[in-house]
Amino acid sequence: MEKFKILEAMEKIKYEKPSISKINAGMPSKFGLPVKQKVISEIDGIKVSKLIEEYGSPLFVISEKTIREVFADAKRAFENRYPKVQFAWSYKTNYLDAVCSIYHDEGSWAEVVSGFEFEKALSNGVSGSQILFNGPDKSEADLIMAIENNACIHIDHFDELYLLIETSRKLQKKARVAIRVNLDAGVYPIWDRFGFNYENGDAWNAINRIMLAENLDLIGLHTHIGTYIIAQTAYAVAASKLANLYMAIHRKFDYWLKYIDLGGGFASKNTLKGAYMPGNETCPSFDDYAEAISNALISSEIPHENLPVLFLETGRALIDDAGYLLTTVIANKRLNSGRRSMVIDAGVNLLFTSFWYNLGVYPTHELGHAEESTIYGPLCMNIDVVRDAIVFPQVKTGEQLVIERVGAYNITQSMQFITYRPNVVLIDMEGKTHIIRKKESLETFKQAEENPKRK
Amino acid sequence: MKITEEVRISDNGFVFNSRTGDSFNVNPTGLELTKLIAQGHDFDTIKSLFLEKYDLDDLTFEKDFYEFCALIKHHQITSQEDPLDFK
Repeated sequence: MEKFKILEAMEKIKYEKPSISKINAGMPSKFGLPVKQKVISEIDGIKVSKLIEEYGSPLFVISEKTIREVFADAKRAFENRYPKVQFAWSYKTNYLDAVCSIYHDEGSWAEVVSGFEFEKALSNGVSGSQILFNGPDKSEADLIMAIENNACIHIDHFDELYLLIETSRKLQKKARVAIRVNLDAGVYPIWDRFGFNYENGDAWNAINRIMLAENLDLIGLHTHIGTYIIAQTAYAVAASKLANLYMAIHRKFDYWLKYIDLGGGFASKNTLKGAYMPGNETCPSFDDYAEAISNALISSEIPHENLPVLFLETGRALIDDAGYLLTTVIANKRLNSGRRSMVIDAGVNLLFTSFWYNLGVYPTHELGHAEESTIYGPLCMNIDVVRDAIVFPQVKTGEQLVIERVGAYNITQSMQFITYRPNVVLIDMEGKTHIIRKKESLETFKQAEENPKRK
Repeated sequence: MKITEEVRISDNGFVFNSRTGDSFNVNPTGLELTKLIAQGHDFDTIKSLFLEKYDLDDLTFEKDFYEFCALIKHHQITSQEDPLDFK
C-alpha cells in the first residue's frame, strides 16, 4: 500500500504556480536580457537553512573570512603604493566587539566618534595612543579621557579647540591633536559642517592657534570628504590640499607633522537607489582609491623622506560584503494594482541602508517564474519597504531568503521597534558559528525600564 | 467569471486582448487554468483536475487559483458573467 502511494505520487507532474506576465513591447530591460537568478544557499560553507534552524529568523550573519580577505585586499592596494599606511577601524560602521577585534587583530587602530565608542575601543584592548577621536560631540569628560589615554584628538570646531586648551591646562598634560579639514574636492554638497574649511582659511587659522597653544601637540591633518564617494579623483584633490597644508606648516614652523588622514567614504559594492548600473560594476576598487591618493601625496611638494603616515578610516567598503541578513517569507500578496508583493520578517528597522540602497535579496535555491515585486518588512508601518521594485521569483511562505552586503551600519543603526532585534552570528575562520550579540528579549527591556509605583 | 470575447489564447501560452491591445505570456499551468476557465468549468472541477494531475495540495491550489483569477481580471482577460444574476 505504502509502495503504491509512493508510485502514485511519482506519477504526478511537478506543479508550478500559474503565472501571467504582460508583454511590454518596446520597453526592453535597461540591463539587457534577463540574467540567471542568483542564489545564496550557504555562507562560508554553512547552509542558510541550518543557520536559521539554529539561531532563528531573521538573523544577521558576519563572515570573518570575508572581513579578513577584504581587509587584506585594501591593505595590499595601499601598501603597494605608499610607504607608510595605517588603517583605523571606523567603530560606528560596526562596533560589535567581535568585529572590532578582527580588525584590531589585522593591525587596525580604532577610529571613534563618541565617548561611548572610545570606551568600547579601550575595552577591546586598543591602546589609547592608537585611537583617533573624531566627531563634533566631545564633552569635557570625553576630552579628559582622550588626553589621559594619549589619544589623537581630531578637533572639529573652534569651541572644541578652546575647550581642549582649557582642559589640557587644567590637567597640565599635553594633548595630541589633529584638525579635521573640510574642503572642496569636487564632491557636492561639500561636507562643510565638520571641521575647519580649507578654502576660506579657517583651517590655517586653527593650525596657527594650535601651534601657539602650550599644551597642544599638532601631529596630523584629517579630512573626510563624504560617504559612498564613487569618484576616486576627489581623494586626489583632498590629498593634494592636505599636502599643501602639511608643507605650509613646515615652512612656517619648521615642523613636520606625523600623519595625513584621508578618512573614509570609499563606496561598497551595493547599488544606490536611482543608479543606472549595479554598484559592483561601477564602484572603484581599493586599487583605484589607493592609486589616486598615493599619487597625489607622492607627487606633492613633500620630500620623500618626510612623507607622512597615511591614515585611512574606511568602514563601509571593508565590511559591507561580510554581512548578511537571513530572512523568511511571511506572506505573498497581490496589490490592488496587480503588482506582486511579499512580506518578509526583516524590516527597515534592521536595514537602515535600505533607504538608499537597492539591497540584493536572493533565494536559497532556484525558483520558477520571476516578476517585478515589492518586498515589505513585517512592521505595521507604511514606510517598511525593503525593496520597492525587484524582479523576484514566486516564493512560498516560509521560504528563506538572503539579503547581502549589510555589514556596514545596519547593525549599529538598527532600531528596536515593534519586535525584538535578532541574533548576530559570526562564522569564524574554521567555519564555526558564534553568537556575537544575543537576540533581545522582554528581559532586555525590563532591565532598563522603571515603572513608577502609583497609589 | 468568463473569458472576455476579444481575448485569444494560443496553445503556446500567448494571450492577446484585442479590446485593450495588451498581450501576455502565461506559463503552462496558467495556460491550462485559462483554458479550463474559458471552457466554463467551475472551481471544484478545475481543482479536482489539478489535484489529480499535479503534485499539489488543495490549499495551495486554492490560494494560487484565486490569485491567478484576480490577476486575469485585473488585466481584463475575464469579465463578470452577468451583473444582474440576482434577477
